[in-house]
Order: sequence, then structure tokens, then C-alpha cells
Amino acid sequence: MDAEKIVSIAMKEGFDEAVVNISEASEKYLKIANSKIDSVVDKRGISGSLFITKKNRVFFTNIEKVDEAHVKSKIKLAKSMVERLPPKEDYYGIAYGPFKYGKSSGYDKEIKEREELVSEFAESSIEGAISQKGTERSKVYGTVYTEYIKSELVSSGNVHAREDRTVLRMSMRQINGGTSFQDFALSRDAKGIDPYEFGKRVGEMTKSVSGVGRIKSGNYDIVYAQSPGGALLSNINTMATIGSIETGSPLKGRMGKAVAAAGVSIYDDRTRRDSVEHSEYDDEGHPTQKTGIIVNGKLRSYLHNTSTAIKYMAESTGNAGLVEPSAGQMVLTHKKRRKDLEELIREVKRGILITNTWYTRFSDYLAGNFSTVPRDLAVYIEDGERKFQIRQGDAESMVGIRISENILRMLQNMELAADDTKQSTSWDSEGASYFMPSVLVRDSQVSTA
Amino acid sequence: MKEISEIAEYALKLAESAGGEYAEAYFENSEATFYSVEQGRLNGSGHVESSGLRVRILKKGSMLTLSTNNLSRRNLERLIRFRPFRGTSISLSDENKASVRSVLKPRKEADPQKLLDGVLHIERGLAEKKYIKYRSIYAGVGKASSLMVNSEGSRVELESPSITSFMNFIVSKGGESRQRMMQFGGVGGFEVFDDSKILEHVEEEARNIYNVIDKGISISKIESSSIKSVVISPEITGIAVHESVGHANEADRVFGREAAQAGLSYIGKKELGSNVGSSEVTIVDDPGIENAYGFFFYDDEGVRGRKKIIVKKGLQSELLTNREYAARIGKKSTGSARSDDYSNEPLIRMSNTYLEKGSSSLDELVSEARNGVYIKSYTEWNIDDTRSFSRYQGNEAYLIKNGRMMEPVKNYALEKKTLDFWRALKMKGNDLEMFPGICGKGEPMQGMPVSMGGPSALLVFG
Repeated sequence: MDAEKIVSIAMKEGFDEAVVNISEASEKYLKIANSKIDSVVDKRGISGSLFITKKNRVFFTNIEKVDEAHVKSKIKLAKSMVERLPPKEDYYGIAYGPFKYGKSSGYDKEIKEREELVSEFAESSIEGAISQKGTERSKVYGTVYTEYIKSELVSSGNVHAREDRTVLRMSMRQINGGTSFQDFALSRDAKGIDPYEFGKRVGEMTKSVSGVGRIKSGNYDIVYAQSPGGALLSNINTMATIGSIETGSPLKGRMGKAVAAAGVSIYDDRTRRDSVEHSEYDDEGHPTQKTGIIVNGKLRSYLHNTSTAIKYMAESTGNAGLVEPSAGQMVLTHKKRRKDLEELIREVKRGILITNTWYTRFSDYLAGNFSTVPRDLAVYIEDGERKFQIRQGDAESMVGIRISENILRMLQNMELAADDTKQSTSWDSEGASYFMPSVLVRDSQVSTA
Repeated sequence: MKEISEIAEYALKLAESAGGEYAEAYFENSEATFYSVEQGRLNGSGHVESSGLRVRILKKGSMLTLSTNNLSRRNLERLIRFRPFRGTSISLSDENKASVRSVLKPRKEADPQKLLDGVLHIERGLAEKKYIKYRSIYAGVGKASSLMVNSEGSRVELESPSITSFMNFIVSKGGESRQRMMQFGGVGGFEVFDDSKILEHVEEEARNIYNVIDKGISISKIESSSIKSVVISPEITGIAVHESVGHANEADRVFGREAAQAGLSYIGKKELGSNVGSSEVTIVDDPGIENAYGFFFYDDEGVRGRKKIIVKKGLQSELLTNREYAARIGKKSTGSARSDDYSNEPLIRMSNTYLEKGSSSLDELVSEARNGVYIKSYTEWNIDDTRSFSRYQGNEAYLIKNGRMMEPVKNYALEKKTLDFWRALKMKGNDLEMFPGICGKGEPMQGMPVSMGGPSALLVFG
């Protein structure tokens, strides 16, 4: 049974609205541990969702099978549940089409069909990582992940949307002489990543700084590589969703005001065709768009679906979430730029280069106060030069420092960016990816072990 | 169940035909009804169900995991075959053959409508408190059943209900605010969800946090660093046990399997059996605690979950293992292999992890501390990837002067190296409490229900 038929059955049961999304997915991933392939996972399945409303009562359920009996049982369940719910007073309806979508970016046949691809990429990246002389051969770790999704979205609002897409993600961490480095590579197709070169660069970075030292707690300029900078600042997109504004966000009440350095812009954008999160439509079938959340330092827009847009007399930004709007992909740009990371480092008198962070936790979400823990390679910079890698403890690969910041202060003190924007992610961002350059943030608080 | 049994047995037969050393088929069905209320509005409600099969085949030392929710014979025949790859050489520990059927009956039947009534009752109660600026409640009730059969003749059938709820609120006065997230629930029926008690508890916490804003003092960095005696509550003990001891003793982390994801450990092969705390420190992981959020009978590999003493009187004692890592260290599995869903590979996970209690009252701990800080709850916490350096930022915290609890303190953070933290533990309270949580590990990330806890304790730093 296809999505259109399911919508038709639901509407015959007397619902006011129905949105059905059915996807067929195939995921393959493997884990690299101690420079060997540790395990391979092959997941295949159908997943779907059914969103229905009746007299402003809204209900969501998933669909795992598309046979008639299963679908009818789900609709029956939805009917019995929705009648017992109180109405959602601030619900204003789904998107009404028809909509014209851009051309789908399509899928890569190699990712979809070649079962051996994940193993080949893993082996090649391990070879690259240990290719340099004197490299420890047994300390490469990571994952190779591929996904093919074919999905169809139909709603009672005259919406029909379809897409096929593929994703390739690699993560690699290498430890070499006690120094560790981790990086990520993402692409829509297999040609977008050269696994050997990716592994080789990770290996080279473990040898990029000689000498180990300690620093004292205090204030430092921070140069963030793309992965950690993006992991921290992609929180802005979530904070800009209208649901966050309603329940507590540091962006509340600041519309039109300066919230970042003058040249900084942050967009929410799933329209980029090279993005692993590219989609022409959101969860209710409204076309996606590039939305300037912060433009040239000023807060310009919150993120909406159709219902919240009506509530606030705004336009949908293509960020459904049916229950509430959700953030898409963060894209950060800065007008004040230097050529590359090296030139950013030259601007620093006393600072730290951060290449990975994790355990970012907000102590005060409303104010935007957080702390984050750098891991892997962290380099002390003095007078524009790398001096030593920071290690405050005895454990191998331990950095032992913590950055305490405020997310708006971080944006206001973002003085420069490098011309090295790339699509990246982080284990800390739990799958979210972003387009991010390396950035220089002045005067952050650092505590040490 | 007969149909599921036939599917699992058929899948096992297909997996065995690959001719490997080991094969296993694991079927799981789970369902939950959930409600989300924000600022008085029922924001979302729904029902989700997940049903599917996972097959693992170990051949020539390589472990392949396959999963699908299309259970037709034709699809299984297409999917279940071994694809060779050059991998780590894996072997599994020898375990007793299991033949088990266990159905955990709730003492009070879990009814979604009753849960919604409870959530709305809590919401109405919190709405009356003007100092709570933002509030949101999420609650879900569900049940899960599974069947595991393997090529060694084990057959384990399990069923259990659970309820979980999250309360998020922000308290503010003037321009100052503090946030709090509290989780309630466990494995069981309505015996683990009492909306009146939850409301009472949340109201008390909100009042106390408002008092911190209203009457709390800020201390300087110098004053903060000079504090030597810290009394921690069961909540702080619990998060420290989980983050700095439980995770550090997961064998896959010790042996590097999680290095690119959830990280490494300060425990290496050389540190097994070494001193990691004072003689007061005995830390246990026990899946058998009734109604606790990390309760289970058997793990996903069909091994009975048992009580593990991770640290005994200050000495590292036992790693958490699955069958693969148990074989590596020549022991039997501790029954710690769990997945958050049939479609993901089982990983080594904690269950209910806690510091064993002592005999002192909170007053005695405070009296013994003389001068210092008592931390009752935290806002932010984090730890480095070797589990060596952690911070717990106080939310509700108080100064201790001359052995008495005094005014609230707004900005104290307990930031210590792990071994310094546990070696500083001098006295333990008799007030052991457990707290539910969702623990993240792996890639793709798997969120696993656990609980963590312990008693209040006095830490004295040199």
C-alpha cells in the first residue's frame, strides 16, 4: 500500500488532516577498532509515520509495514486515541500544496548497491592512516557508514513528494605516541571521499605537533576547527526553533538585535545539494529553504512549520517537524576571513587550537551558558605559533581542559574565520552535520585538571 | 508468539547454514504511548511500535550483524547470508545453555489514559507556581518483549513493561534563571509512576532552586578552590559513579573498541586490580534491582544478568563484559550485552550502578565536614574521554560552616580528577537512592535505560 492510499483511508475515517511518510532504508556500517574491522552491521527496513488531526486534536504514530491489515490497525488505534485527547489550542493546520520542488539530488548507485564498499573504504583509510614511517600501526579507530533511503510523503493538503538519497559518513580517530586526532568525512556519493587520503591526513595530524606541555587555568583565545566549532554552534539552530523560543532560549526577545560579531551569519539550510541532509521538502511537504537566522550579526528569523507560522503571523521556513518545528542543517559564514587555519593561528598571542570536543552541557540554557570538554589534539599557541600539545594528565590521549562559555558571547567574540569551510559533524552532535569554517574566538574561559 | 518463534527459528536455521562458529536470532517487539505537555498545552501525543529481527553470524572470527523488520521468509532468505570481511578475530566465552521464559507482570496495570491524567495533574500543579517560568513534561508508557535463540541451544523469552517521564523546568527571579531536568520511572507498571509524589518532589526542587536564586551567594574562584570538604548527595554520587567508574570499567572501552565514539578509559590492562579510591569505595552494577530503570533478567546474548562488584574497597575488581570481551580475559560474561533496539548491535552497557551505602546520617557528614560545601543537585556535568577529569556544576548547593548547613551558594563546581575524587571519599551516608537515566554509547548512538545512585558522602581533598 502506498502513502496516497493510506491518506485516503485515513480521511475516509473522518480525520481532518493526514500526513503519511513511508521510507525504505538500507544502512550498512562497520566499526574499526585497533586498526581492524571489528564488526559489520547491515540494517534494512521500512519505516513510516502517520500524523492525523481531528478538531485540533493531534496524534502521531509510526508505520512499519504497509500491508492493509497493519495500516488499518494503526488508523483504528489513532481514531480511538485521538478522541480521548484534549485539543491543542494553538494548532493551525498542515501545509497546503501543491508545491513545486527543486530537482532531487538523486542517489549514488555505488553506495546503494555495492555491499563491499564499507569494507573497502575501511581498509583503504586504515592503510592511509598508518602509511607514514614510524606510525603506531595498531591504534586506528572509527566507523564507515552508508545509507540509502527511498521515501514518499503524501498529505491531505494536496502534497506529493518523493526522493531517493544516499549518504556516506566516515569517522576516524588515530592515536600515535600518545597523541590522538579525530576527523570526519561526509558525502552524498562514494566519489566524494578518498578514504586513503582521509586516513593519511588523520595520521599526519597525530604527528603535526612535537612536544607536550601543561597550561594554567585562565582566559585564552580559542581557534576551533570545523568539527568542534560546528558542534557547538549548531545549537543556535535548535535555539531558533519557535518551540525553543516558547520554552526558553537565549534568542528569545532579541529579534533584530545584534547577537553576533558584525560579519557573522548563521543559516538553516537543507537546500544545498552537496549536503548529506539535503531535502527539497520538510516533514509536512513544505519546500525547504535557506533561512537566515542571524545575518551580519543580527537576529533575523526564527524557524517555523505551517502551524506555528500561522500562530505567529509569519511564513513557514520549511522546518516541520509536524508536532513542532525542528532545525535543519547549520551553515555559518563570516565576512572577516583569513586564507586558512595557519593564518588564524598567526592572529593569536596566547591561545589554544581545539580539534574535537564532547560532553557539551548547558548549565543555563536560557542564558546560553555551557561547558565543553576538548578531546584529542589540543595545541597551545603563543605569539602566532604552535608551541606544544596540551596534556594535563598521565592517561594516553587525555587533554584535561574544559572550556566554559556563553553561546552568544562566543558569537560576539568570533573575530575571524578561515576560508576552509567544509561539511563536518561530531560524535557530540549525535548525527547532526553542518557547513563550518575554522574560527577564532577571543577570550574564552579555560579550566584545567 | 508461535508465529514469532517460527520466524526466529527459521532465521537461526538460515544463519547456521552459513557454516560459522556461532549464530543467533533475536526478535524484539516494543511499543509505547507518549504525551508531551509544554507550558500547559498538550504539544504532542502518539504511539510508536517497533518490531523486527536481528541475526548475528560469527564465522572465521568475524562478526556480522543483520537486521530487518520485513519478516517474510523470502526477505529473510535474501538477507541472511554471510558476507566475508577481513576483521578482528573474535571468539565468544563459553556460557551455560539458557532455557527461560520470564514475563514481568506489573503490580499496577499501566494504562495510557491514566498516564495522561497524571501528566495533566502534574502540569496543573506546576502551573500554579509563579516562579516556574517554563515547564515541559514528557511521559511514556510501554512494554517490550523479546525472543533470543542461538546455535548453542539457548532460548530466552522476556517481557516487561516500563514507564518513564521527564520534567524540565526553568525557575527565575529578576534577570536570573536556573534550569532543572528530572527523570522518573522504571521497569514496571503504575507502581513506578505516582503523579502526586512526582509533583510534590518537583515542587520542592523548584522551591529550593528559587531559594538559591533569591538568597544564594556567589563565591570567588579563590574561595572555591580553597574548599577542601565537600558533601555530595545521592544524585551527585550517582552521576559520578556512572560517568567516572561505570563507563571506565566497560571492557570494550578498556580494549579500545569505543575509542572513536564513547572514548577510552583510565583503566588499561595494567590498571586492573589497582587502587582507584579509598577503602570506603565499593561500587556495584546490578541489573536485578526490582523496578529500577536498568532492570533486566537476561542480556541480549542470553546470559543471565548478575551483580558485579566493579570496585571493592577501593580496588578495581571487575570489568563489565559481553561474551566477546569475557573470552578475551578468559572469564564468563557478566551479562552486560544490551541493544536499544533489535536493529542495532548489542554493546556492553551498565544496568543499575551505585556506591554501596554507609551508616552515617547527612547531619553527621555535614558535621564532620566542618567547613565546605554540600551539593544536592547538578545542572551541567561532563567528563573527558578517558574518564579522568570530571565536573559537576552545583544547582542546589549550600555552604557548610562550623559543621552546619548555611546559606545557598550559586556557583560552586566540583571539578576534579577521577582518582582524586574517589580517593577523597571518607564517610558514607545511609541514604542510598537510585536515579533513572538514559545512557548514550556507540555509533549510531544507542540510548539505554539505566539507573545510578548511592548514598550521600563526604569527600575531603588534600
